[in-house]
Amino acid sequence: MSAAHGGSGSSSGAGPASVGPRGGVALDLAALRRTKPTSRLLRLSIVLLGLLVVWAWTAGDFDFGDLVSERRAENVRRFLGEEITPYPLRETGFDQAAFVEWAKTLWDERGRRGVAATLSIAVLAIALAGAMALLLAPLAARNLATARPFEFGAARAARGPGWRALTTAVRALLVLLRAIPEYVWAFLFLAMLGPSAWPAVLALAIHNSGILGKLGAETIENLEARPLVALRDAGATRRGAWITAILPLSLARFLLYFFYRFETCVREATVLGMLGVVSLGYWIQDARSKHYYDEMLFFVALGAAIVLLGDLVSAAARAVLRRAR
Amino acid sequence: MAADRDADRAAAPRRPPEGGSRFGSASGRRWILLGITLAAVLAALTLDASLSGLVPQKGGTELVLRFFARALRPALDYESEVPDGTAPLWMAALAAARRTVVFAVAAMSLALVGGVVLGFLGSSAWWAGAPRGGNGAVQRAFYRGFAPAVWAAARVLIVGMRSVHELLWAVLFLAAMGLNNVTAVVAIAIPYAGTLGKVFSEMIDEAPRDAALALRASGATNLSVFALGLVPRALPDMWAYAFYRFECAIRSSAILGFFGFPTLGYSISASFENLHYGEVWTYLYALCALVLGVELWSGALRRRFVA
Repeated sequence: MSAAHGGSGSSSGAGPASVGPRGGVALDLAALRRTKPTSRLLRLSIVLLGLLVVWAWTAGDFDFGDLVSERRAENVRRFLGEEITPYPLRETGFDQAAFVEWAKTLWDERGRRGVAATLSIAVLAIALAGAMALLLAPLAARNLATARPFEFGAARAARGPGWRALTTAVRALLVLLRAIPEYVWAFLFLAMLGPSAWPAVLALAIHNSGILGKLGAETIENLEARPLVALRDAGATRRGAWITAILPLSLARFLLYFFYRFETCVREATVLGMLGVVSLGYWIQDARSKHYYDEMLFFVALGAAIVLLGDLVSAAARAVLRRAR
Repeated sequence: MAADRDADRAAAPRRPPEGGSRFGSASGRRWILLGITLAAVLAALTLDASLSGLVPQKGGTELVLRFFARALRPALDYESEVPDGTAPLWMAALAAARRTVVFAVAAMSLALVGGVVLGFLGSSAWWAGAPRGGNGAVQRAFYRGFAPAVWAAARVLIVGMRSVHELLWAVLFLAAMGLNNVTAVVAIAIPYAGTLGKVFSEMIDEAPRDAALALRASGATNLSVFALGLVPRALPDMWAYAFYRFECAIRSSAILGFFGFPTLGYSISASFENLHYGEVWTYLYALCALVLGVELWSGALRRRFVA
C-alpha cells in the first residue's frame, strides 16, 4: 500500500533528510521534490481521463434543452404530484389507515413472494458461484497449476507447456464469464430455458464464478510460498496440498470475497426480475407497464430494504471472519 | 479490485486475538460454511427450483446450439436486408460502443464529484480526531454538534443512494420524465457516487495516521491535517478504486440499453429479438473489448501505485 513507486527512490547515504546541528531534522525540500515518486503512466492517464470527460459531455449525445423543456417539467409535476401517491389516497389526502391497508395488500399479494424469491435467487446463485470458483481457481493459479508447484522467482516462469495451456484456457474462460454482464446472461438463459427462477440463478452464478474464480486464483498465488515448498519437499501431492493446506489457508480470504459478491447478487437479483423472472423486479416492471407508479415505488423501496438486509448479513459474516483471524 | 483492498484490510488483525472468543479461528469459518449450505438448500426449496427446470424448453436446445455456434463467427455484416445507405455493421457496433463509453465517462465524472464530497463528509477523520475542548464555545459546538450531524446525514444519504440499483434509478427517471440520455447518466451516477463516497470515506478513515499525527503535533490546523496528512495516504487506493468503478460503469452503461438508451445493450437486445445471433456476438465482443481495455488500463495503473 505504499505510494506510487519511485522513479529513482532516495538512495542510501545523503538523503533529503539529515539530522541538523541542534538535533532537529532539517528537510531539503528541493531534494525531496526531486526524488518524489512520479509515474508517466499516471500523468498520461489523468490527462486522458480529463479529455475523455470533456469529450463525453460535448460529443452531442445529451440534449440538455429537452431536459428542461416544458413537457418534461409537466411530466415530473404529474409524477411527483399525483402518480406516486398511493391510489386510495389520491382523492382523500393522507390517511394512515388507508395507507397501511394499501401497503399490506401489496405486501401480501406480491411483495412477500417477491422478497423471498429475490433473496433465494441471490443465495442459491452465490453458493453455486462459490462452488464453481473453488473448482476453477486452483486450475488458474500459476503457482499450483505448474510442473513443479510453489517455485518462486525465476524458476516460476518455467511451468511446462501443458500447464501453461491449461491456466491460459481457464483464465480466458474466467474472463469471458465475467466480461458478459449478468443481465445479458439472464436474457440468453431466459430464451433458452423459459420462465423460471433458473435463468436468474444461472446468470448470477456464471458471472460471479468468473469474478470469484479470478480472485480465488490470485489468493492462492499470493499465499506465503515457503510453507508450501516445505510441504512439497515433504512429499505432498498437488491435490494433497490443495485440500490440507491451500484451501484452509485461503478460505477466510475467499469467504470475504464471497460475501462482497453476495451483496452485489442481492442487488442484481432484484433487477433481473425485470426480464420476467418472478423476483421483485418482475413486479416493478409489471407496475411500470401498467403505469401504476405508486405500486412501482413501493416495490423499489422494498428492493432497497432487502439490499440493506443483504449488506447487514454480509457485514455480520465478515465481522465473524475478521475475528477468526 | 475493490474487494482486494477490503480483504487486505480485513486480513490485518485489528486487535490481539481474544482467548475467550466464541468463534475460534476455524470454527467461525465452519459455522459460516454450514450457514451458506443451509441457506442454499432453503433457497432452492423456496424457489421450487427443481433440476427439471434446467432442461431447455421446446426449441430451446436448438436455440442454444444456434446461438453458441455463432460465438466463433460473429457477424461481419447485417443478417437481413437493410435499407441502402445504412452504415455497415462494424460502424454500428463502433457507434454503440462509443456511446457506451460516453455514458459511462459522463456518469463517472458526476459520480466522482459526488463521491469525493460524500467521502469527505462521511469520513470521521475530519472532525472526530480534532482536539476536544477546543478554544471557544463556537468551536466546541462545531465539533460536538454540527460536525457529527453532518457526518450522520452524509452516511444516511450514502446508504440511500447505494441501496437502489442504477437500473431502478433509470426506471424511476423514465417514469418521471420520459426518455432522455441525461437521465441515464444521472441514474448511473447516483448509486456510483454513493458507493464511491462509502469506500472513499472508509479509505480516508483507515489510512495510516503517521503523517497526520506528525502534522498535528507540529501544530497544523485540522483542515491541513486532513488534506495533507490523511488524504495523500489514501489517494492511491482511491484512484485504484475509482478505476475499478469505471469498469463497472461501462457494464452498467451497456445494460441501460435494454431500457431504450442507445448503448450496446440496445443493439444486443434488438439483434437477439430478430434472431440475428451473429450480430449479438459482434456486439458482445465489442462490449468484452471495452471492459477488457479498461481492465488492462486500470490494472497497469494499479500495479504502479498499489504495491
